[in-house]
Amino acid sequence: MQASRARLFKEYKEVQREKGVDPDIQLICDDSNIFKWTALIKGPSETPYEGGVFQLAFAIPEQYPLLPPQVRFLTKIFHPNVHFKTGEICLDILKNAWSPAWTLQSVCRAIIALMSHPEPDSPLNCDSGNLLRSGDVRGYRSMARMYTKLAAMPKKGAESSHTL
Amino acid sequence: MAAEAEASVRKRKAGEDADHGSGVDVHVEAVDSATAEPPSTEEIPKSSDDTAFNSNPNPSESFLFEDDYGYSCSCVDDGDIMKQYTDIRAVEAAKIPYLGDKEPLSSLAAEFQSGSPILQEKIKLLGEQYAAIRRTRGDGNCFYRGFMYSYLEHILDAQDKAEVDRVLSNIEQCRKTLQFLGYADFTFEDFFSIFIEQLESVLQGSETSISHEELLKRSRDQSISDYVVMFFRFVTAGEIRRRAEFFEPFVAGLSNMSVNQFVKASVEPMGEESDHVHIIALSDALGVPIRVVYLDRSSCDSSSPTINHHDFIPSSSSSSASDHLTKSRVTLLYRPGHYDILYPN
Repeated sequence: MQASRARLFKEYKEVQREKGVDPDIQLICDDSNIFKWTALIKGPSETPYEGGVFQLAFAIPEQYPLLPPQVRFLTKIFHPNVHFKTGEICLDILKNAWSPAWTLQSVCRAIIALMSHPEPDSPLNCDSGNLLRSGDVRGYRSMARMYTKLAAMPKKGAESSHTL
Repeated sequence: MAAEAEASVRKRKAGEDADHGSGVDVHVEAVDSATAEPPSTEEIPKSSDDTAFNSNPNPSESFLFEDDYGYSCSCVDDGDIMKQYTDIRAVEAAKIPYLGDKEPLSSLAAEFQSGSPILQEKIKLLGEQYAAIRRTRGDGNCFYRGFMYSYLEHILDAQDKAEVDRVLSNIEQCRKTLQFLGYADFTFEDFFSIFIEQLESVLQGSETSISHEELLKRSRDQSISDYVVMFFRFVTAGEIRRRAEFFEPFVAGLSNMSVNQFVKASVEPMGEESDHVHIIALSDALGVPIRVVYLDRSSCDSSSPTINHHDFIPSSSSSSASDHLTKSRVTLLYRPGHYDILYPN
């Protein structure tokens, strides 16, 4: 508990120091709880997520960094490896391939890389996975694009709380 | 940053409590996985989900956006298998602490009493050179855990201040290696300081000095033991990557991964088992010789089996190798898939 707090504090300082270095990621620590973070990540270019801003929720276990953070999408996303309802992410480094060498920041980068390179053979979202597996890239892209527009882009006229 | 975003997905989804018996039909399984979702799904009215599902006898009619009939999701299925596998391992592992008590070698003989005659013969031979064994938990970290205790116990027994100073300077090199490779300091420094703390406290004569009992207690305490294991994993990872060219053929013999992928997948994560690649790297990086004694059924001549061992001599060792070997050697007993600590006569 003490060790995880100390580590998270170091990550917090690093995030403050490196602010803006990676324009695609904005990590925010909860005001009152260092074990709760959120991140805003930009959908990578040349993907159906381009132009969208996606919110991630981090719940960090007491045994961090020996155990991985629990991360899920708060913003709805149509992607083979993200559960459509819960936002759960199927990514090895968040499960058995986790190591303390990863950081909250590098986890965000891994998730952005996953958005660019979906793995349809181990889907959490079967519909999305099936579209890609059956070769219907156009179908997948248009569904993913629609949800990006619906959920991850500021609506015209509405306050744009999701801008980076 | 060291951890560049290499996203790869494994067919696995941990953290699910689904306990599927065999022979469940599709409907039951789908409902199971719906109710076994992580507790963080507060925005989803679960009960209505279940009813919606049950009232639809043909899930394929609601093909789009009803992905909670998870039976075709290999991620979920494989996740269940993996979960079951890790559960079994956890139950097995909990039977012994991270490090057991020192046991006479006869306890090993008793274990194989009704086993292979070759093994029985080999254990008898083992008894000529070794007096005792200390078992480690089979949680994938046994090599590092065995090395940790064996090495620290050796320092405690020998009160070898020179060896501590020597290894401290090697540790400094390892730190520089990791920095050079691009690891952020804060990712590894806590693990380094926990090990250095243990190393210094086994030397007697200071306020923080500890006894054998305390060393064993700490080695069984997860918050110290796992941190030391992770320290060794960082050191091993740094050494393999620093000398990637040297290790490449070894890695190629074990897997079809690149050296960096291998380090990410098989060295840095806790619970990943160790092979000769890891042992060479750790021994070289810290400059500590390791003897591994092999106990398996292999035998050139079944009438007179011999015990094989391999000495891992650090490549950078400045003093003569024989000098090193007598001074500080960690001796481990290898049975396929597992390392325990051996005590010479």
